[in-house]
Amino acid sequence: MSLEKKLRNIGISAHIDSGKTTLSERILFFCNKIHAIHEVRGKDGVGATMDSMELERERGITIASAATNVEWKGTPINLIDTPGHVDFTVEVERSLRVLDGAILVLCSVGGVQSQSITVDKQLKRYNVPRLAFVNKCDRTGANPYKVKDQLIEKLGLNAVLAQIPIGLEDKHIGVVDLVRMKAIYFDADGGLGVEEKDIPADLNSEAEKMRENLLDAISMFSDELAELFLEGGEIPEDIIHDALRKGVLARGIVPVFVGSAYKNKGVQPLLDAVVKYLPAPIDVDNFALDLDDNEKEVLLKSEPTLPTVILAFKLEDGQYGQLTYIRIYQGSIKKGDELYNVRTRKKFKVGRLIKMHSNNMEDISEAGCGDIVALFGIDCASGDTFVKPGLNYSLTSMFVPEPVISLAVEPVDKKAADNMAKALNRFAKEDPTFRSYVDEESNQTIIQGMGELHLDVYIERMKREYKAEVQTGAPQVAYRETISKRADFDYTHKKQTGGAGQYGKVVGFMEPLSEGIYEFVNDIKGGKIPTEYIPACDKGFRTATKKGPLIGFPIVGVKMTINDGQSHPVDSSDMAFQSAALGAFRQAYLKAGPEILEPVMKVTVEGPTEFQGNIFGSINQRRGIIVSSVEDGRSSQVEAEVPLSEMFGYSTVLRSLTQGKAEFTMEFLKYSKIPKTISEELMKKFQEKK
Amino acid sequence: MVKDELINRSPLRILEKLLNGGLGKGNIGVLASKKGIGKTAFLANIATDKLCSDKPVIHVSFYKRTDHIISRYEDIFNEISKEKNLQNAAEISEEITRNRVIMNFNQQGIDVPRILSSMEALITGGNFKADTVIIDGFKIKEAGEEGLKAIKKFAQKLGLEIWISASLRMEGPVFNDAGIPYEIENLVDDFIDVLLTLKYDNQKIQMDIVKGHDGFGGQHSSHLYLDPKTLLVAAE
Repeated sequence: MSLEKKLRNIGISAHIDSGKTTLSERILFFCNKIHAIHEVRGKDGVGATMDSMELERERGITIASAATNVEWKGTPINLIDTPGHVDFTVEVERSLRVLDGAILVLCSVGGVQSQSITVDKQLKRYNVPRLAFVNKCDRTGANPYKVKDQLIEKLGLNAVLAQIPIGLEDKHIGVVDLVRMKAIYFDADGGLGVEEKDIPADLNSEAEKMRENLLDAISMFSDELAELFLEGGEIPEDIIHDALRKGVLARGIVPVFVGSAYKNKGVQPLLDAVVKYLPAPIDVDNFALDLDDNEKEVLLKSEPTLPTVILAFKLEDGQYGQLTYIRIYQGSIKKGDELYNVRTRKKFKVGRLIKMHSNNMEDISEAGCGDIVALFGIDCASGDTFVKPGLNYSLTSMFVPEPVISLAVEPVDKKAADNMAKALNRFAKEDPTFRSYVDEESNQTIIQGMGELHLDVYIERMKREYKAEVQTGAPQVAYRETISKRADFDYTHKKQTGGAGQYGKVVGFMEPLSEGIYEFVNDIKGGKIPTEYIPACDKGFRTATKKGPLIGFPIVGVKMTINDGQSHPVDSSDMAFQSAALGAFRQAYLKAGPEILEPVMKVTVEGPTEFQGNIFGSINQRRGIIVSSVEDGRSSQVEAEVPLSEMFGYSTVLRSLTQGKAEFTMEFLKYSKIPKTISEELMKKFQEKK
Repeated sequence: MVKDELINRSPLRILEKLLNGGLGKGNIGVLASKKGIGKTAFLANIATDKLCSDKPVIHVSFYKRTDHIISRYEDIFNEISKEKNLQNAAEISEEITRNRVIMNFNQQGIDVPRILSSMEALITGGNFKADTVIIDGFKIKEAGEEGLKAIKKFAQKLGLEIWISASLRMEGPVFNDAGIPYEIENLVDDFIDVLLTLKYDNQKIQMDIVKGHDGFGGQHSSHLYLDPKTLLVAAE
């Protein structure tokens, strides 16, 4: 079977503490081990077993790379590392994009928590088919049935149990496979193998009941199965698998598996399910944007012979230079192929081609359609699209959101300064929403991003990966200025006292622009301003938008129109018209009802109901709007819109208000007008600083 | 059309007139009908009307999720702004959502004190100055006298107008001779200030005022109905 038909590109999405890392490790471990065991067996024909000591040692494997290639029973699987944090970042979005399927991991005690909702939303946005794995069934209070209900109620998923646990909490010893109606235990081969037995008598009726539910749920995806189900006859296993797969691919069903990764329970059947039910590249529709046709969507085909389209989704600094992780969406590549980087418009040759395994990297000479591999020594940024020369497709829109928060960072010594420079350079390449610059006035290095956590992640990475110790200043919100009404200008810039003079006159108006940052319209008739000076006017306006007069933040949403003016045969110049435009802008701006905008975040707080009053209060105090609250049983989830400037330190406050029992997530929602009292305060501060 | 006109020309002004100025603070209004006739839509109309007059509303519901309630409101607002050709609709829509909180309870067998205490947490703890409360999908019969008494007390204490929907049985006789649903007969006298019913009548959903502030007026037609297509309240 060709690669695009059998490969699985999967990610593991989870709430923190639901055991994502452990599950990933176990998957790598079992895949490697099984592979190794087969090899050993092939050579000497004697079964190899491992004792638990060795098993422990082998557990040291962690996913260090963005995509790790493993093999499970002959099926290649790329395990893609989805970042654990849920702050809005391009990095998270991009890693989700290269997935064809996902395992949603949930804790059998904690169930669906606010972060699970966020990660599920991300999966929904990218239309990723998924399986659910209810982990930690060995924990006190484990209740996978409840978690399955929450998947339905809280996430609106059509979740149905594909397994039921044999024993829970410290008695959790195995699972019942509801398709094959077999009990599966995990003690064989010193904890490596699986053993199938008959279902324990006390679980028989429960298993029958749950199997009915499963068959009922998937019957809508297979007429054949529905018929057999109604007739009440025996249903062959492959028909059930087939219906389940159809349901998962159609995002119509989420089969739920149970186990405990930590105790090595349920991992192998989960891998079987990945192979059976999650899609291969060919089963998924992917689109590119045709840059020659106004970013129109074009369907890509997972065919190795078509022109190549590749996304560079992650950069990593390796020992031997920059490693670029790519996913091949269409076509295939070989060493020595020529590719074209759509963003930089440069061609390059494919040099070293690498496949990452959990413990080594392998040089390969070609990579097939759908695969995820890495390139060495390519100069690019993450998110770049590489295509066969001749195509002009992009896999990502060229639109990048503006950062909403900034922070001053100060290296502690010279060495840290060097390392910091390296780190910042790298991060900016990886993540277009992360930026850094040196402020001219304060001479400080400022980093900018999409949220407090987003910047925290990078500061942590600077310390950990680049050994750059830095001190950070207070986070600063990225305000914007804008106008609310139309205003005219008529401005003459004139300096004609001795020597070469300067003369330029511009007349026109500014008005609010509902979509976009800035627009320039030239409506000059009869050459009142010579064509050669028009770009200078545009440039002057643009310069004016860089720093608004209210609080010194960029001005957005303005449309500038010039319709009249005057020039001087000798004294007019580019410089003169730039100055005139700058002056005109300032003249009109204050008449145009200038306003300050602030970033507003969508905040979700989840905690016990008894603290609801405190949670509501904390949002109210932060100028937040409560959109909704949902209560179920003991916990309540509050959704609100809160200005980012009010959210600093919220985690500490929330913790103390709720005895540490509530948690929150947030993501950027929109820019909104700031209330008058606050904008006056900001303007006062700005004036004082000046 | 601008916002003020939207309020002034709303068919709900007719209802207000018939009720001598509306439901009023501290009072309980019940909207009763069989399932699927349009109680939620009617109440969302009332809520949207309040929101347009800058009066904060709490919408209490008992579903699994809240997104479809929010989209219900969006639909109604979109229909209104389309029908009335409203200017700067997007701005007004944003303005009115500021004044609306959806409180959803999805646990089984939630009791009235629990609902009221959560609402109080929002109003006092969250400093949300609610004017009107919509309680939709509530099992009024099960809450009984005890429950309604508590709600009434709550409405008086916090100065709220509270509208409650009541789903009536699908089979057998539903209304008595006075037009009062059999299922809530025992509650009407003491705890319900205003009782409205919705009935299918000749392709229309007709609204009747069974009890107003002046007491029982029989099945007094309000000349208001619910447009079955847009689910907007309309006048004959």
